[in-house]
Amino acid sequence: MATIDVRNVCKRFGKQQVVDDVSFEVVRGEIFGLLGPNGAGKTTTIRMILDIFKPDSGTISILGGPMTEDKKDRIGYLPEERGLYQDISLERGLVYLATLKGLSASEAQKRIQTWLERFDLADHKNKRIKELSKGMQQKAQLIATLVHEPELIIIDEPFSALDPVNTQMVKDLLREQRDAGKAIVMCTHQMHQVEELADRLVLINRGQSVLYGSLDEVRRRYAGQDVIVRALAPLPASLPGVDRVERENGQYRLHLTSGTTVQDLLRCLVEENIPLEQFEVALPTLDQIFIQIVTREGEAL
Amino acid sequence: MKKFWLVFKYEYLRHVLRKRFLFGLLSVPLFIVVILGIGMISALLAIDNKPAGYVDQAGLLTITEVPGEEEGIFADPPLVAFPNEAAALEAIDRGEIGAFYVIPPDYLETGEVRVITREADSNLSQGRFTRLVRINLLAREDEAVAKRVLEGPQMILRSVDGTRETNESNFLSFLVPFSAGVLFMIAVNSSGGYLLQAVVEEKENRTMEIVITSVSPEQLMAGKVLGNLRVGLTQLFAWILFGVVGLWVAKNFFPFAENLAIDLTSVMLMLITLLPAFVMVAALMAMAGATATESSEAQQIAGLFSLPIVAPYWFAGSIMTNPNGPLATGLSLFPLTAPVALPMRAIVTNVPVGQVILAVVLLVLVALLALLLAARAFRLGMLRYVKRVTWGELFRSRRAVA
Repeated sequence: MATIDVRNVCKRFGKQQVVDDVSFEVVRGEIFGLLGPNGAGKTTTIRMILDIFKPDSGTISILGGPMTEDKKDRIGYLPEERGLYQDISLERGLVYLATLKGLSASEAQKRIQTWLERFDLADHKNKRIKELSKGMQQKAQLIATLVHEPELIIIDEPFSALDPVNTQMVKDLLREQRDAGKAIVMCTHQMHQVEELADRLVLINRGQSVLYGSLDEVRRRYAGQDVIVRALAPLPASLPGVDRVERENGQYRLHLTSGTTVQDLLRCLVEENIPLEQFEVALPTLDQIFIQIVTREGEAL
Repeated sequence: MKKFWLVFKYEYLRHVLRKRFLFGLLSVPLFIVVILGIGMISALLAIDNKPAGYVDQAGLLTITEVPGEEEGIFADPPLVAFPNEAAALEAIDRGEIGAFYVIPPDYLETGEVRVITREADSNLSQGRFTRLVRINLLAREDEAVAKRVLEGPQMILRSVDGTRETNESNFLSFLVPFSAGVLFMIAVNSSGGYLLQAVVEEKENRTMEIVITSVSPEQLMAGKVLGNLRVGLTQLFAWILFGVVGLWVAKNFFPFAENLAIDLTSVMLMLITLLPAFVMVAALMAMAGATATESSEAQQIAGLFSLPIVAPYWFAGSIMTNPNGPLATGLSLFPLTAPVALPMRAIVTNVPVGQVILAVVLLVLVALLALLLAARAFRLGMLRYVKRVTWGELFRSRRAVA
């Protein structure tokens, strides 16, 4: 059973169609990338999943059915527009948010202590939140998202304004949660982060779903006729079936002519007795795929 | 429902546990005590408690003590008898008395009494001397007649239907509705201010989305409104408690306050209008907070709701002189002015029961409507961080809210 099942969802604000017939599923034990440029409709989709907005049409099932008040306790959400109560102590603020997620005050206190120690915040628990650095506040927000051990974690732009150390920490945390069987939705426009973490993804552009599947599958689908080769000897000036050769960082990028397969090239190189160190199909990055799709859509309009 | 209580408790404790709240709570009674204290100290400094003397040349004063005469700082100083003017003058010189009366032999014919003093501002103990003379003059009269002459008529102001009455020395019947109105305004404004801040806070600090994905907007709003309402009520009841203690102290330690009593009709009217009025103002404040994006902006909008609450004080003269006129009636029916205007009218007239019921019903209805609009404003505005909710949007169809 899917943790989230979004089917043909549409949402319009005034004259603007913000989400248009979007469908996808998120299952347990995966990091799911909800991608798209700014203003694509990602946050609106998340808000519909969380029942903050009602869709105009389509259905959304979360944790096995429509959203209920009880289910809110099983979800951890870190929105893009995020913050904490500023005028109270860190511990009190976190305990309050944890009790709103169904934990008893004593249990919340116990768990928060563990998290604070893990994030090196234990010494600051009695400080007012506004006295903490931005980085510390971001870590505290993560604690608020995870302290009640949610089955579903939704994080909107998880890496925005994070320094490299905290970025790595969030990545490790997300992997850890995935391995613990949680379903994680990571909503971002930073493609390289998705490439590193996500198992599957949906790409939304202008409110429409334009790409959906596993990361590997998507990249293969958009792979062109390029091969990356690293050889111990120089390549011949011309190779049959190769249109163009580019040299970059000690490796060659070979553009194949139409009709030439990767296997044809490999056979040719072996026959030429060229000692190979690396031979791989050049898969496009998500950034390249994203630009390709968005540009194509822009031209089509 | 459990989460409503969590919000309610959080909102209540975050204010009540602050030093600022405790200071606000104590500052009002402290201010009153300080003002009264300064007044008493200056009065004490001005009091000359030196006894006064008298020389009875008419042989009139056979009784030398007035029965039941009060003694103390604020009572008239005692009187000392002297055989002749020379002895009394010597006593003045020695500083034993400040002044003395001379009752000449023809007093009964002329009614004239001379007062001799070195200082014009000496305490003459005039009330005590007058009572002493009267009691002696009436010594041979029937006891009941003498008592009536001495005490004078006890005037009791009673309503036509006989349901309410007050006596002339009971200034509390005027003071309580006026001061309670002021306290009500302070309490409403402070708890309304807290509420404004509370509603706009989640938008300012960007915790709104986290909170509304943990608790329903309705429970969040209800918890906030009632939690902050309780802050105001705590403040108000603490002040009432201070007032009751103050009254008890006054009645037991100050003779002039013996006859003080609170007019129950005004108190009842205040109580039945208080709660719906509190809910109404709180909801209006919450609505202002929900439509705004920053607390400073919300404060400006909320100021508009505070103005009508004080309006009855501007028209206090008209209300008191014409308590059943259209202005007084209108102000006591209009929900924003009713909590102050209704008890004010009740001081000087019997407000018709129908009008009281109508005023309370209107208050409750407006309070419910304000709550509904506040919830709607909250739903519409909860995720607007830049653009405020317009009044047009607020009153548009329910569909817009979904």
